[in-house]
Amino acid sequence: MGLNSLFDEYYEKSFIQGGTTCCPGCGGPLLWRIILEILGSKTIIYGDGPCAMCAVRNIKLPNFNLHFSFIADTATGVVAALAAKGREDITVVSSGGDGATADISLGKVSAAAERNENMIQICVDNEAYMNTGIQKSGLTPYGAWTTTTPLGKEAPKKDVPMIIAQHNVPYVTTASVAYPKDLQAKIRKAKGTEGFKYIHVVIPCPTGWRFNPAKSVEVVRLGVQAWAWPLYEIEEGFLRLTLKPRQRPVEDYLKAQNRFRHLTDEQIQYIQGEVDRKRERLLEFDGKRIIL
Amino acid sequence: MLFTRMMEGNEAAAWGARLSRAEVIPVYPITPQTEVISHIANFIAREEMKAQYIKVEGEHTAMAAAVGASTAGARVFTASASQGIVFMEEALWMPPGRRLPIVMCMVNRSLAPLGGLRPDHNDSLLQRDNGWIQLYCENSQEVLDTIIMAYRIGEDRNVYLPVAPCYDGYFVSATATPTTVPDQAEVDDFLPPYKHEMYNLMPEEYEPIPFYRPIAESRYEVQQAHERAKRVIEEVDKEYERRFGRSHDGLLEEYACDDVDAVLLTMGSMTGTVRDVVDEMQAEGKRIGLLKLRAFRPFPTEELQKLAEGYHAIGVVDRNTSYGSAGGGIVSMEVARALYLLEEKPLLVNFHVGLGGSDVTMRQVRYMAGKTLEAVEKGRVDSMVDWVELKDLGEVM
Repeated sequence: MGLNSLFDEYYEKSFIQGGTTCCPGCGGPLLWRIILEILGSKTIIYGDGPCAMCAVRNIKLPNFNLHFSFIADTATGVVAALAAKGREDITVVSSGGDGATADISLGKVSAAAERNENMIQICVDNEAYMNTGIQKSGLTPYGAWTTTTPLGKEAPKKDVPMIIAQHNVPYVTTASVAYPKDLQAKIRKAKGTEGFKYIHVVIPCPTGWRFNPAKSVEVVRLGVQAWAWPLYEIEEGFLRLTLKPRQRPVEDYLKAQNRFRHLTDEQIQYIQGEVDRKRERLLEFDGKRIIL
Repeated sequence: MLFTRMMEGNEAAAWGARLSRAEVIPVYPITPQTEVISHIANFIAREEMKAQYIKVEGEHTAMAAAVGASTAGARVFTASASQGIVFMEEALWMPPGRRLPIVMCMVNRSLAPLGGLRPDHNDSLLQRDNGWIQLYCENSQEVLDTIIMAYRIGEDRNVYLPVAPCYDGYFVSATATPTTVPDQAEVDDFLPPYKHEMYNLMPEEYEPIPFYRPIAESRYEVQQAHERAKRVIEEVDKEYERRFGRSHDGLLEEYACDDVDAVLLTMGSMTGTVRDVVDEMQAEGKRIGLLKLRAFRPFPTEELQKLAEGYHAIGVVDRNTSYGSAGGGIVSMEVARALYLLEEKPLLVNFHVGLGGSDVTMRQVRYMAGKTLEAVEKGRVDSMVDWVELKDLGEVM
């Protein structure tokens, strides 16, 4: 009884409803709770299809959703309508899953970035088309099992934050639900910045990554600690690492998920090499301008 | 009245959007629609028009942004053609289901392959089933007037549907005809600011739309809205005539049909040619008239039934193809269904003509009129559909 009333009290104040249609351990509802605490009530959210929508559907703020092929475009219309009505007090958030953002709607996200639309574009990245049953996307990492890559994905993960950064937009950042304070600071910065803001968050998916749902936050935290998902921001073209954790072997992160269990030692070494190379480059560019 | 001068269809469309005070205009260029958007760009650059003009990267985005803007309560205008309309197909299903009164000009152009830059109606007729109101226009004046009327129709609380004024590329889009541009104040008086009564996306007024509801129920609502739209189209046309002195006959125009045996039924720019031929042939004593189908969606079934009782034959002129269809072109199939319930049915003659934008000549119109009258005489129709352009027309009536 005591616990229930605690929940009731929380969800009374929160912009997300209690109970979701998401899988146990999904990072989606967690992500939106963290985000909405900062964005507040004057927010309109556009979300794409599943899985990102499963969480968005439970948001109490004005929101609507279309399919994967409608990222950043419908939100562009909302931004224009608000400008026409002089409602600059409202924040427009456009949310897309990894497949939507990196594959079918990459051109649309790029175009919205080019036009510098005044919106926050969030990539809710669980590293595959999870709702359709775990199919490979452009953001699935090298080696990961999915139902369409039964032997592991051959190509590396697309570097979408860096692609968007090269559009010279005011703000690009990577984040993780395992570091909520870091994520909230970035959302706050995005909210206070005029123009196109891109926030790329890797969220855990126990169903698709093949691990115990109770370990969700732990697993994504391992990814950050291993520098498999480094946290940085690019503000007006300047890169800054927002977290420089002591590096753990990437093997710790890979071994925590059964989607990587078929990997050979050579493949793990290869992934470690790629992670190290990227880490060195990030440390080298930390504090420097990375836009040509 | 502001002024009257010779004006191409595309400029008339831009004036229609300007006078309707469209607030958000997401567009992507495609021949033969491009002058619509360049005229609008100039209106905005000269500060004669105040609108959020979004230069998007493709038609799919144009319609998606239109959906977003309309949902957020803005009056939206856009225009496209041919491949562009097909490219935005996925997004075109959103506004009717969400009951958004977006107005989009469909500047007819044939589709690839087996098409070119010139018009036929397969691009807009492909949108037959998705819930858009389609009104076919014959000249610049009708384009301008129809856009202003389209907002009144679409934004009517009994309708809430998107409206597509359709007009043929080049024959209307790039052909200058005398056009009267009404005064802004008069248009403002006719067309009040847009406010959607069904929902509001603004946070202070937002009420969640139920996520799960029977799909059949929603679809039936859209269908009912189309039924109600028929009356609204007629009423808006009448009010437009009262205020501006011009009518375009709402759903269906009967031209020179007193005391005729048969009619040709047309859509779009070819209608002008048919008017002339009908005048000529009537002077020669031939009993042929003209029905101009202005609203293809909603299809004016009852109105057509009422008129059809007065004719012995209808010659449907289809500027489109429907491969492997039950018989003939898309319009003829609609007409056949509408007339099926009549006890005294006129004969149905069907022609394919003007495909890929080839000219519909007076000679061809005379041939079609002759064939339709011949059917009346014989009391039967010889072929399901007549591919007029492939015929050696020889001696025509």
